[in-house]
Amino acid sequence: MTRWVFTLGLLSGIAAPASAVEPAKTPGGPTPAGTPEQVEFFEKKVRPVLAEQCYSCHGAKKQSAGLRLDTADGMKKGADNGPVVVPGDPARSRLVASVKRAGDFPMPPKAALPADTVAALTEWVKMGAPFPEAAGTQAVADPRKHWAFQPIKDPPLPQLRDPRGEVRNEIDRFVLAKLEEKGLAAAPRADKRTLIRRAHFDLLGLPPTADEVDAFEKDDSPQAFEKLVDKLLASPHYGERWGRYWLDVARYADTKGYVFQEDRNFPYAYTYRDYVIRSFNEDKPFDRFVVDQLAADKLPLGDDKRPLAAMGFLTLGRRFLNNTPDIIDDRIDVVSRGLMGLTVACARCHDHKFDPVPIKDYYSLYGVFASSVEPKEPPLIGGAPRTPEVEAFEKELAKREVNYTAEVAKRHGLAVAKLRSADSVAEYVRAVLDARGKPGDQIQGFVRDRDLTGFVFARWRAYLTEQLKQHSPVFSPLAQLRDIPETDFAAKAPAVIAGLGADPAVLKALADAKPKTFREAAAAVGKVIAGATKDQPALLAVLGPGGPTDIPVADAEKIFNRLDRDQLAAVRQKIDAFKASSPAAPPRAHVLNDTPSPVEPVVFLRGNPGNRGPAVPRQMPEVVAGAARKPFTDGSGRLELARSIVSPDNPLTARVFVNRVWIGHFGQGLVRTPSDFGVRSDPPTHPELLDWLAKRFMQDGWSVKQLHRRIMLSATYQQASSAERGARNAEQKATNSGSSVPHSALRDSRSDDPDNRLLAHQNRRRLDFEALRDSFLAAAGRLDPAVGGRPVDLFNVPFPARRTVYGLIDRSNFPGTFRSFDVASPDQHSPQRFLTTVPTQALFLLNSPFVAEQAKALANRPEVVAAKSADEKLTKLYRAALGRNTTRDELALGREFVGAGAQGGAAFGKWEQFAQVLLLSNEFAFVD
Amino acid sequence: MFAHPRPPISRREMLARCGMGMGLLGLAPLLADTARAAADPINPLAPRPPHFPGKAKRVIHIFANGGPSQVDTFDPKPALAKYAGKPLPAANLRTERRTGAAFPSPFKFQKYGKSGLEVSELFSNTAKHIDDICVIRSMHADVPNHEPSFLLMNTGEARLIRPSVGSWVAYGLGTENQNLPGFITMCPAGMPLLESQNWQAGFLPGVFQGTYIDTKHTDVEKLVEHVRSKTTPPADQRRQLDLLARLNAAHQAARPDDPQLEARIRSFELAYRMQTEAAEAFDVTREPKHVLEAYGPGEQARSLLLARRLVERGVRFVQVSHGPVQPWDSHDDLEVEHRRLAGQVDRAIGALISDLKRLGLFESTLIVWGGEFGRTPVVELPTPGSNAGKVNGRDHNHWGFTVWMAGGGVKGGQAVGATDEFGFKAVENPVHVHDLHATMLHLLGFDHEKFTFRYAGRDFRLTDVHGRVVKEVLA
Repeated sequence: MTRWVFTLGLLSGIAAPASAVEPAKTPGGPTPAGTPEQVEFFEKKVRPVLAEQCYSCHGAKKQSAGLRLDTADGMKKGADNGPVVVPGDPARSRLVASVKRAGDFPMPPKAALPADTVAALTEWVKMGAPFPEAAGTQAVADPRKHWAFQPIKDPPLPQLRDPRGEVRNEIDRFVLAKLEEKGLAAAPRADKRTLIRRAHFDLLGLPPTADEVDAFEKDDSPQAFEKLVDKLLASPHYGERWGRYWLDVARYADTKGYVFQEDRNFPYAYTYRDYVIRSFNEDKPFDRFVVDQLAADKLPLGDDKRPLAAMGFLTLGRRFLNNTPDIIDDRIDVVSRGLMGLTVACARCHDHKFDPVPIKDYYSLYGVFASSVEPKEPPLIGGAPRTPEVEAFEKELAKREVNYTAEVAKRHGLAVAKLRSADSVAEYVRAVLDARGKPGDQIQGFVRDRDLTGFVFARWRAYLTEQLKQHSPVFSPLAQLRDIPETDFAAKAPAVIAGLGADPAVLKALADAKPKTFREAAAAVGKVIAGATKDQPALLAVLGPGGPTDIPVADAEKIFNRLDRDQLAAVRQKIDAFKASSPAAPPRAHVLNDTPSPVEPVVFLRGNPGNRGPAVPRQMPEVVAGAARKPFTDGSGRLELARSIVSPDNPLTARVFVNRVWIGHFGQGLVRTPSDFGVRSDPPTHPELLDWLAKRFMQDGWSVKQLHRRIMLSATYQQASSAERGARNAEQKATNSGSSVPHSALRDSRSDDPDNRLLAHQNRRRLDFEALRDSFLAAAGRLDPAVGGRPVDLFNVPFPARRTVYGLIDRSNFPGTFRSFDVASPDQHSPQRFLTTVPTQALFLLNSPFVAEQAKALANRPEVVAAKSADEKLTKLYRAALGRNTTRDELALGREFVGAGAQGGAAFGKWEQFAQVLLLSNEFAFVD
Repeated sequence: MFAHPRPPISRREMLARCGMGMGLLGLAPLLADTARAAADPINPLAPRPPHFPGKAKRVIHIFANGGPSQVDTFDPKPALAKYAGKPLPAANLRTERRTGAAFPSPFKFQKYGKSGLEVSELFSNTAKHIDDICVIRSMHADVPNHEPSFLLMNTGEARLIRPSVGSWVAYGLGTENQNLPGFITMCPAGMPLLESQNWQAGFLPGVFQGTYIDTKHTDVEKLVEHVRSKTTPPADQRRQLDLLARLNAAHQAARPDDPQLEARIRSFELAYRMQTEAAEAFDVTREPKHVLEAYGPGEQARSLLLARRLVERGVRFVQVSHGPVQPWDSHDDLEVEHRRLAGQVDRAIGALISDLKRLGLFESTLIVWGGEFGRTPVVELPTPGSNAGKVNGRDHNHWGFTVWMAGGGVKGGQAVGATDEFGFKAVENPVHVHDLHATMLHLLGFDHEKFTFRYAGRDFRLTDVHGRVVKEVLA
């Protein structure tokens, strides 16, 4: 059964699992756990209320008046001045009095609870106030004490009494110490062929060639592996491999997902991807890497503006129908979970149920991103030469923009002309006068019902309010006529009109019109205004400059009707698609910039923007920055946020990243919930090692490449991946060393540590989709080594030979092949890839034209074609696909399969089929 | 159903066997549920039992995307005739656009079956099964806009990324036929509004995402990606697989006890069988003539017949959308449009139900029909720049609409809940979309409050923090 710290039904919506609630855990107490029905009642009706309404002052963190309501003990003890609950007797229970707002302390202090909630609390006291402890409640006294929120320590190296394994560097001491505790031994070093293959895939995501394997096997120097690691780290393909890991964190995609009418492409998303790849290749210090991604726009960049593209980390998320709070939520999530392993987004609607992240801290971050907006045109970042193609693109783009602007102006002109028609003037004037005295919250509906435009109405209203204040001779008559009750209008209007002191033209119009209703009166005035002549300056002024219909073209969108908007959006969409699809479009960066004045955030109660709670400063969450945190002062605060995230005092950032790198080398993290280091996360398997690595990482100037070296040069990394060999090794060691541990006490990690949490051997890993596809191309001899550039469509003929990291990622049409191979979903930050084995993967491998194409290319590699005998051909194929020579059995199998089959030509013959089988083999797809 | 070559193993043993690999951990929440101990440690689509035995084993969701009008289909409102062309006594509820006077249904209603429930002429074939259909007349959603309502109906959340209903069901139950996807979603000639978001897996593994099929096509290679090799004839492919098995066996011999290797080996054999099975499943021409005729012509008929063929073969969840974007969105020309749309699908729905009964599948198949919301009982007024001045349609209506359910565990021949006198708003026993989902899960054997997935520090549910099982629906 899952361990529950609390079982607070509200957020997770789950009542305590029945088996987790053992009745009567508090012997002799007045608050026994209760019957199953009572437990259910408590979990559904009471605990959520306590959690929601009371814990913030009477919970784990704070105990106002000494009262704590989140534990049975606290409930029993009561406040400093005595118990608050008398089981079975609501009338004598002060808690009940408080929620009924009857006692000395009406609670909650701000607003009364709903009646049914009060009734539930009363009922609960009446049934004896049963208080089942959820399993583990007692254990977590204060979430702030959780290990991940403590400063990163620099633990001493463990002393090993009886090391059962090789020590190559400090990492091994930490690992062997844990194995020793359990009586387990490390596996022996993997053979060199395994090592070079492992290193190549880990760092490049590409296989070594057979010649590289041979050379490495021949290199007997003790530094051979170290030299290999350094060589691989210097390869430009390293950044492609590790950049892709980061793109998972960054939920990277080239499109926005579903949007209404705009173009769905992010035309310059690739500049972010290229920035990430370049940063890994250049070993950009990770702290700077983070700062770039959050606030490059606020850094002095000098001539090289390319780091601006880093901000794609924030901007390239899904667009959620352009709903701002959701876009910001996505940004908060990618920053907090992606960089700090903190699930801040859980605090959008209420305080985090488990981690010490109050809703206020969520809205502190919200303020930062609400103060950061995307400029209409993303800035250029240079780096592209001015070719004729670029100039042609710019010329075409300018032409299209001019056309668009002209179209907007034309439609604006027509829209304004319509607003100046007699009918429109009459409608708006009448509406403004009709709306006088209406409560503000009804205006919007009123305007809508009249089929008017809110923006224009507001202008007319402002204008008329001012005019009437000044007793305008044009409008005052209508205002007076409006006061006549509609039923008497026809009868009384003539007298009123006769008595008006008004603009003569208006007066005449009204007298001539003999209006029977106010609507007719307004129509008459509308007509005279719309038809004003030069000799009627007062009338002319109404629709003149500064008047309500003098609407600048900048506001054109606000007066367009649906048709205008749809048609213009279609034009705009074409322009944006043109940008996205033109290879010559100069690179730009999807940045954020601070708004001129930052947003002062307020809490949205229950996550509802319409329900505004207390104001909060823009600042870091307290759990990471401590109680002494200071509100941000520099604009949005993004730069301060970034600096705080990478502060050496931040307990999370270095740990979280080191853990991600560890996953890339072992398939599994030291913390197995890589984006959640919170209270409910999986505790680290090697907490000291995690801290030690995080500390070294920072001391090394946040060098990611140093971190790889450190990990890969450990004996732990270089172990064989077979659990069986680890077990055998243990026996051997014990025998050889005459160990004090009796033979029978030696343990087998397969049964004692089936998850291999203690790393008694390496983990065999299956290639992810990127490494698999790239390896096909490599085996086929077709891989395009070019680094960077615009995305390519991987799934249409002709299949590009570029690395998979350059494949177009369309959020709305995420390719089925990506999905079936567990490529990270770009919808949200992805902590770690799933690894599933489903037949649709095999279908792709068996039947896709892409794989067939690579198999054909493999079978027709020049050295295979040139080979004289079938055996030689087979050997060449094995070397190209699997990086090794064939065994005698394999040659026999191969000969049998190809028979007398011909090679080459248009047909997909026996040799091609054989080549495909090699590509599909487990040996190809797994790394030992 | 795929027979497991190995005997069932304990969870502990299972972990012992697959104690490595990041993805396995990624799937830990799946496997940790002791109530549904996975029969297969690696294949997330292996069939699993629900919380309690559910009467429904599979689902066909006929998604009338765009929002069919309840007062023209399953919720007769004679009172509208009294006010024809005049405003209703109470102000119109606010919907997406401006609305005007009462608009009585142009379609005739009549009583059907023993239950005597009234159904309009639009669904006269469906109505022949009315005694097996439970009409929920008191559905309501949150807003009168397509996008959030599509998402709410299909994923239980109007804006954020959440797994779709079909993904949840596939996650919960696995699928009965390993040679076909567990969750298939069909739409002829394009995708519904919001496209793949309607069948997204969200934070669940990608294998639970709906597999989209464009039923405009009839060629199986266009329907199922990579279902056939264009280069290798079946006999040669069999030879390839035999060779592959031998190479893999040699590789595996030095690496015993690794279920990942075993699983991948097995996946090729599964794929090989899938080619035949999928090709057959999607080939409706194999149906006898009288069955083809019963469903009638057209894409709707083909989709529903396919749906029947698929559930018959063990696919867990099939969704059939009517057409691209939002075809049922009759803002104008409602009489013509609704007649055309219902005409495309009614006969096939009737045939589908008969067919499932004939095959003995009706009792264990849950059929759900409905849109993302309904339509107003009053006319929509023209909007500048659209409508072309027509005043003969209905606006969106999330206040009250109809969804019907039939089959597995549903009590037919009854109407649950009611809208007001004019069909504007659900007033009696209102059923929110979350309640519909809770009820669907219940019919499948899940307690919707305990059916969760841990992600980003939370346990997520299809019904979030909402939902109640509508007891009246249950047989």
